[in-house]
Amino acid sequence: MTGSSRTGNEGGDDGRRLTLQDILDSIQETWVVFWLPPSLKMSFRAAWSLTLRKGGLGIRGIHTPGSTAHGKEKMPPYTNYHAQRSYPMPDEPFCMELNAEQRALKEKEKGSWTQLSHAEKVALYRLQFHETFAEMNRRSNEWKTVMGCVFFFCGFTGLLIWWQRVYVFPKKPITLTDEWKAQQLQRTLDMKGNPVQGLASRWDYERKEWKK
Amino acid sequence: MAYPMQLGFQDATSPIMEELLHFHDHTLMIVFLISSLVLYIISLMLTTKLTHTSTMDAQEVETIWTILPAIILIMIALPSLRILYMMDEINNPSLTVKTMGHQWYWSYEYTDYEDLSFDSYMIPTSELKPGELRLLEVDNRVVLPMEMTVRMLISSEDVLPSWAVPSLGLKTDAIPGRLNQTTLMSTRPGLFYGQCSEICGSNHSFMPIVLELVPLKYFEKWSASML
Repeated sequence: MTGSSRTGNEGGDDGRRLTLQDILDSIQETWVVFWLPPSLKMSFRAAWSLTLRKGGLGIRGIHTPGSTAHGKEKMPPYTNYHAQRSYPMPDEPFCMELNAEQRALKEKEKGSWTQLSHAEKVALYRLQFHETFAEMNRRSNEWKTVMGCVFFFCGFTGLLIWWQRVYVFPKKPITLTDEWKAQQLQRTLDMKGNPVQGLASRWDYERKEWKK
Repeated sequence: MAYPMQLGFQDATSPIMEELLHFHDHTLMIVFLISSLVLYIISLMLTTKLTHTSTMDAQEVETIWTILPAIILIMIALPSLRILYMMDEINNPSLTVKTMGHQWYWSYEYTDYEDLSFDSYMIPTSELKPGELRLLEVDNRVVLPMEMTVRMLISSEDVLPSWAVPSLGLKTDAIPGRLNQTTLMSTRPGLFYGQCSEICGSNHSFMPIVLELVPLKYFEKWSASML
């Protein structure tokens, strides 16, 4: 799928994973930074970044969480490439570090584009962008997970409500029995309650039935 | 009284309530129009694939959606104020009834000609007769003559209840030390129920109001019998 593999080779790191040593270093650096007075903090950081830039101390302390967003030290997938559907052409290309073959292709791109083969155009596209529009807008199966969880919790809520009705609610008052409700309705109709547009207006008093 | 599955107001028994019903229809229509327009626009926003991130200004639509709501508000305010002033019109009541709110019942005084006063407590559910309405019936109803303007003076002895009868469009707070006035005119006879409409303690939900509107001669007979 990828046109060319990404090489994340900044500051001397060979792409190995974080080890416990790195984590301890980062904790130590942060801890030191916190309690040193500001002036000392500044010089400490200056010395530290100088060390980093020179590639000193081997591969230690490169990918610490203390990096800034614009620093060169970044672990994948933290990059400066942020493309969204509403911002589709970011300033930086997707692949920053190019091998020799890719650099040659970029040189060829400076000439007339009719000289480029189809494969080369695709390769250039893949260098510049992470995904095509079709890939970026692809659907996913997330909705099934979401709906499943929604229904699950609705069902659980139903269980809770059923338990509440059985074990918590008090007895219903006598006025909710069918017999009482019928007598109530008869009384309401007798006193012509809401005769204009409401209940009694829907009763036919001559035929003693509901109006059709 | 209210009936099951009722959606709107109870039928109007007084002309003012009728006006209020029509006003409510008018205003609700405006509310539905605005709500459906907004819902439609939201659904459009959520289902488009287009994006536009460089909008700077939108003078035309801004003008429209400032002027148009102002016009709509005027169209709501004018009928509303009309009804408000209509409620305060001089109407020369033929009868004055005073009601005092207590914790937790109403008492009524008819003192125009003789001294008639009584308390009105809710009938508890266990003592209801078959077919009566739970939490709405009272032992002594307020009997009034129909098709006559009645002045109600409402006050309270201790708490702050509110005397409300929805089908007549009445709701007036009962404030200790203050006399609030409202007028009442029923176009038809019958029983009209209401409930206390301001929180006033533990039995606030259990102090209803029942008006019994009858022709004048029945009213005279009743008031003679109550003395």
